[in-house]
Amino acid sequence: MADRVSTGVEGLDAMLHGGLIPARPYVVSGPTGSGKTILATHFLLDGLRAGEPCLLVTMDEPPSEVKANMGVFGWSLDRLKILDATPDVRAHKRQRSVIDVGTSLDVRDMEDVQGVRQSSGIRALEVSVHSVQKMIKQEFSQRLERAKERYRRIVIDSLTALKMFSMQGEDSRILVQSFMRFLSELEATTLIVSEHLNASELETEFFLSRGEVRLHKWLDGNVIRRAVSIEKFRGSAFDDHIRPMQIGKTGIVVAATTQGPSRTSGSAARDEDSFLETRIIEEVSNVLDNVLRGIDEAHKRQIPIKNIEVAVSRAMVHFQRRHYQKALKQALACDSELRQLLGEAPPPPPATVPPRPPEARR
Amino acid sequence: LIGLGKIRTGIAGLDRMLHGGLVAGRPYIVSGPPGSGKTILAMQFLKEGLEGGERCLFVALEEPPNEIKINMRPFRWNLDDLDVLDANSDIRRFEPTPIMEISTETEPIKMRALSERIRKTPDFESKEVSVHSLQQLLKSLFLKRRYHRVVIDSVTALKYFCMREFEEILTTQSFMRFLTEAGVTSLLTLELPELGSVPPEAFLARGEIRLHKLRDESGIRRFVSIEKYKGSSHEEYVFPFDITSSGIGVQVLAASTAAS
Repeated sequence: MADRVSTGVEGLDAMLHGGLIPARPYVVSGPTGSGKTILATHFLLDGLRAGEPCLLVTMDEPPSEVKANMGVFGWSLDRLKILDATPDVRAHKRQRSVIDVGTSLDVRDMEDVQGVRQSSGIRALEVSVHSVQKMIKQEFSQRLERAKERYRRIVIDSLTALKMFSMQGEDSRILVQSFMRFLSELEATTLIVSEHLNASELETEFFLSRGEVRLHKWLDGNVIRRAVSIEKFRGSAFDDHIRPMQIGKTGIVVAATTQGPSRTSGSAARDEDSFLETRIIEEVSNVLDNVLRGIDEAHKRQIPIKNIEVAVSRAMVHFQRRHYQKALKQALACDSELRQLLGEAPPPPPATVPPRPPEARR
Repeated sequence: LIGLGKIRTGIAGLDRMLHGGLVAGRPYIVSGPPGSGKTILAMQFLKEGLEGGERCLFVALEEPPNEIKINMRPFRWNLDDLDVLDANSDIRRFEPTPIMEISTETEPIKMRALSERIRKTPDFESKEVSVHSLQQLLKSLFLKRRYHRVVIDSVTALKYFCMREFEEILTTQSFMRFLTEAGVTSLLTLELPELGSVPPEAFLARGEIRLHKLRDESGIRRFVSIEKYKGSSHEEYVFPFDITSSGIGVQVLAASTAAS
């Protein structure tokens, strides 16, 4: 498809129905060690091969380590521009001798990267959103002046680090919003590496990003399994399956299935199944826990809930027989009924005709 | 059954679930996790209004309008006459300059006239959107012309970026009150976290349409439910829906609905 930017991973491009929509910021999420940085590097490498100017802003690892780590795959990243935004060793002194990174560091070619930058003995560099933004902006305009070209791809690795280092307190949402606006206005395709720290909290970058590629990692017996899924992709259809993924000698490989829900064979399919099962079991037990809590509460308040108890035991039976879909449906129905009984949401006026359950579809 | 004046949502199955549509002139919440289809649902609601010759307004707080324009293109809906108000804050300045708030002179732009490239923050001043300034702006817009349908996308962005944290609930409540007094039928989209509790905004609206996103062996499965609907009966079950090239379609079998 035209007008798409490749992620550098063939199978993932297929999942995205051709690739990313250009000039927008996206999030790559996943637990530590799931391959986020590797995926981001694939993306940059693909740009470099096409002769596009690419920029890596690193906050997690010093450039020297990034270089060494990616060397394992034998990739040539020499023409990659790298902006070192790792904070120095903190000078634990009381003077306000802290200076922002932006005022003193510059951007280097990957090939010039050598050892880790040593913290200055006198002044420690610290990183703030402001300084990172300023650095990127400077680099952009310099590039435009020098070579009359714009950066096409940017990777921010990682926003989690930036948030932890320099966005404490209540302004952090606004700072992230402003930073994402800044990235959007640069009109480069951006991958932002970020970790979901807490699933019950809505973090700004996840709902502001135009898409999310999520990497999964879990233990199956004593083997680590990996998978990738698209959680959100604005303005495009996408493959909504969780696809198995491997990290091998050549980097990330996603087992692409070009046709819709046709099952992958062999071990790949088993990976997918075992993972899905874990996910749905979690989901069902969560809902069931809620329902049980609700039932306790109802007993306390002496609200009659015989029918819900019957329904929930049915859900339990489904659960034990591993009919997770049925169990989930039943449990969800119990949950919403209980909530109404408990007055957590006001009860609706009675329907004229008692509603019947929807027939099973498909 | 339809005592109060109800208007269509633009999605036939959803209208059935709502026993005819939404009671006009009230604010409603459309909630769901990121990527569940809230913006698409809201656009379909506006498209329905436009087709009936109504005046409709989309307030963009989350995404730049140029991207929304491009994103909606595959659906081939005629949204040319939709008024789009860009309420995205500019890049913040870190200097202690006086803050420029979005002014009451800001005008919505017709969808057909929207540029396809992002609006750039000017070099010397950046505008910020606070709930206060946005409300003023909307007020003067509503005085100038009568809007029938309004979408706020999203109330989460409004809360995160345009309010002070300690007064969130109160301010949201007052904002919804403002929409009610203006007499517009409004949809406010609300982001839900993947786990955990529903934000308090849900309790303030007259109704809540919730989108659910579940994964199973056939990929992402989507469901919609009416969590609450004041002043009307509604379907109480969770119904499956799909997003296709013609937008959101809710699969409600005639046999399973009550009276419609």
